[in-house]
Amino acid sequence: MAVHLRLVDVVKRFGATTAVDGVSLDVEEGCFFTLLGPSGCGKTTLLRVVAGFHLPDRGEVFLRDRRITHLPPQARGTAMVFQEYALFPHMTVEENVGYGLRMRRVPAGQARERVRRVLELVGLVGQEHKYPHQLSGGQQQRVALARALVVEPEVLLLDEPLSNLDAKLRLRVREELRELQRRLGQTTLYVTHDQEEALALSDRVAVMNAGRVLQVGTPEEVYLRPRNRFVAEFVGMANFVRARWVGPGRVQAGGIVLRVGEGRTSGGDVLLAIRPEEVRVRTEPGDGGPNLLQGRVQSVTFLGPVRRCTVETDGLRWVVDVQPDVRVEAAQEVYLEVPPERLRVVEEA
Amino acid sequence: MLAGRVGALVPGVEARRQLADPGLALAFLAGAFALAVFVLYPTVRVLAYPSLQDYLSIPHSVRWVQAARNSLLSAVLSTTTAVAVGLAFAFATTRPDVPGSRFFRAVALLPLFAPPFMVAFSYILLFGRQGLVTRHLLGLDVNIFGPHGLWLVQTVAFFPLAMLVIVGVLESISPSLEQAARNLGADDWQVTRTVTLALARPGIAGAALVVAISVLADFGNAVVIAGGWPLLATEAWFRMEGMADLRGASLVVAMLVVPTTALFLLERYWVGRKRYTTVTGRGGRLERPPTYPPLKWASFAVCGVTSILVLLVYLGVVAGAFTAVWGRDWSFTLDHWRLAADRTPSLWASLRVAAGAGAVTAVAGILLAFLAGRPLPLRRALDFLAVLPGALPGVFVGVGFVLAFNRPPLELVGTPWILILALAFWHLPLGYQAAAAQLQQIDRSIEEAASNLGARGLHLLRDVYLPLLSRAFVEGFTVSFVRAVTNVSIAVFLVSPGNVVATFAILNMIGNGIWGGAAALTTMLLLVTFAVLAGARLVVGRALRPAGVG
Repeated sequence: MAVHLRLVDVVKRFGATTAVDGVSLDVEEGCFFTLLGPSGCGKTTLLRVVAGFHLPDRGEVFLRDRRITHLPPQARGTAMVFQEYALFPHMTVEENVGYGLRMRRVPAGQARERVRRVLELVGLVGQEHKYPHQLSGGQQQRVALARALVVEPEVLLLDEPLSNLDAKLRLRVREELRELQRRLGQTTLYVTHDQEEALALSDRVAVMNAGRVLQVGTPEEVYLRPRNRFVAEFVGMANFVRARWVGPGRVQAGGIVLRVGEGRTSGGDVLLAIRPEEVRVRTEPGDGGPNLLQGRVQSVTFLGPVRRCTVETDGLRWVVDVQPDVRVEAAQEVYLEVPPERLRVVEEA
Repeated sequence: MLAGRVGALVPGVEARRQLADPGLALAFLAGAFALAVFVLYPTVRVLAYPSLQDYLSIPHSVRWVQAARNSLLSAVLSTTTAVAVGLAFAFATTRPDVPGSRFFRAVALLPLFAPPFMVAFSYILLFGRQGLVTRHLLGLDVNIFGPHGLWLVQTVAFFPLAMLVIVGVLESISPSLEQAARNLGADDWQVTRTVTLALARPGIAGAALVVAISVLADFGNAVVIAGGWPLLATEAWFRMEGMADLRGASLVVAMLVVPTTALFLLERYWVGRKRYTTVTGRGGRLERPPTYPPLKWASFAVCGVTSILVLLVYLGVVAGAFTAVWGRDWSFTLDHWRLAADRTPSLWASLRVAAGAGAVTAVAGILLAFLAGRPLPLRRALDFLAVLPGALPGVFVGVGFVLAFNRPPLELVGTPWILILALAFWHLPLGYQAAAAQLQQIDRSIEEAASNLGARGLHLLRDVYLPLLSRAFVEGFTVSFVRAVTNVSIAVFLVSPGNVVATFAILNMIGNGIWGGAAALTTMLLLVTFAVLAGARLVVGRALRPAGVG
């Protein structure tokens, strides 16, 4: 696939703070690309650099082969859905959606037809003459999306568009958004701090922190093979084990020797990560196997889909999830089975 | 609907519970009584004074038709230019990329502190027959007296009111709307036209209404500079002063109060609701897109020229106070200050009256705001009467108090109290709204916590509200004081030989051509004004400004 949007070493500073610190990214045509990170990580700033609201202090922005780094927002062919929607309160739904076409001097008849089609697409037929304040939050969100889609942008930009919706509606709109994006093959750059949203929607995810991109990959890649501690922690919670290599595929942590799927022979310290649901909990030792640890349950919290337990084994603390029908109680003796292939080596930073 | 009406008149359960508290019931009666006597009664008295015959004869009186027509004309002209200039200032001061943005905001507030005749007086000194600028710098022979002079003066005097209203609207427009427009392909001019100005339209309409009220009610500037051009606001005083024609005076102010009240109600109940609220949470931290260059420079030019005119208002008066004989002998002198010093009794009278008016306004404002916020009977009527004086021109209030209190049971004419009470209740909306704004900020849970712990009725006011409302008191007092100390429109009707206030003395000096003395006394008034404002700023921690009907 051809690269549609390319960022090369983009830096954006506000006074003394560096909001975006040397980001390079390639977004392929038709790709749903998500910038994921905590608030203040620079993801929205980066989106605004692409939209042209901020000029970068360094670096370049390309749409296909066209350098757009210094073009004003109105000349870029990027359309944005704002977090707070930014619907024009003095215009009807139809006027809001048709605004971009009016600015592009699309003939009235043609514009009306395009507005009608996009309203059909987002399911707002019949609401044309209402004002934004007469619509529900979900409807306002659709108007914002329709207003951006109708101009057939090169790249669609979305800034946490679901954050103002209630939890149920958010799920539904999420699915619709995904389906619509696939159907239109619309190249999309999406910003969110919600890892679940990012995993569910995206073709590719870039995890950001402190103005830098830490890892880019498919949702599976960032979830299953986080490259460093921050990514592992931010994309789902993880247990971290600080250990030392003692041989090929073997590390020592506390008083235990663990087998690790990834072999490395040289010595030195290493950080390992594993998710709570990947550790298996048994009440009996069974037939043993690699990495079977005896421990004692410290606490149990019922979370609905799972019971989350903290278990202590020889000076190591593990957070593990068990099925809710498995009875586990505090102070109980249990055995933890830690699959070697799931113990991943991650970087500290 | 019917049940609602009845509920408003017959105290409901909640209201009865409130009134069962003797302190609260007493406060309610006092508040209602004060409003009835000092707001409602004078108003009714004016309107009922002329006979139906008198009202019907209005169209046949050439003089009154002319005055009405002139008032209307000056309202249209001055409002248009004042709003246009106010819009330019609002635009410039909400856009940091317009050069001088902060300077313009500071300058634009200056006319609000000037006594209501000062712009006219200063422009006579600068641009009149003997004008420093027109005659002595440019060598022109200009007659500034008349409608054209009034137009210029009112534009400069009232554009700040328009600016304040429009600034409020422009600031509430989220930058993300402008960004969304640009993002959708609008260029700078299109963003301004289709988003910024389109959203500001209700604000501009509101500004026009506020300015029009002030122009119609403007007495100070009109009496100084309109010359022989009859206007409703000045006609009332000429009737009283020259002919002791109470009937004519009340008829004229009744004619004046119709349009001002209509504009006031329109502003309050129609434009006030039509405003688009664009408060959308996180928008504030975004930067505004750059301003369309031609617009940027156009507003810069308008603001620049107007700022010079504003600064000249102050310079002209101060220069007048130190110049031997204006127009003939430009040497420096302190003689006028000696003359002004002879009038210090009037300055003291002004301070006494203003302090009394300020205190009454502040106390009544807090009490009424507290009452209007509880589920009491007639609370909407209380609210309406508390804001109504904002619709009444000063001359109307002046005539109203003369008619209402020139005979028993409440014969106040000839005492300083009549002026104090007239000014206090005329400024009531300022104290009331300051207190109401503070009350809104007091979380209801604070009150609930207090009553949960056993505080009831007036104890709530004393223990919970008063400490929190001391700020509202200072605000209400200051704004009322500053406007009272510079007032002429009411003072001219209510001063008595023993109680001549400074503004009245100044007006007489200007009328008699004693310009130097008038300038010196005006400068002293300005010093008092700014000293009080500076003191209030120390107490409140925020700059206050008097604004409203002239």
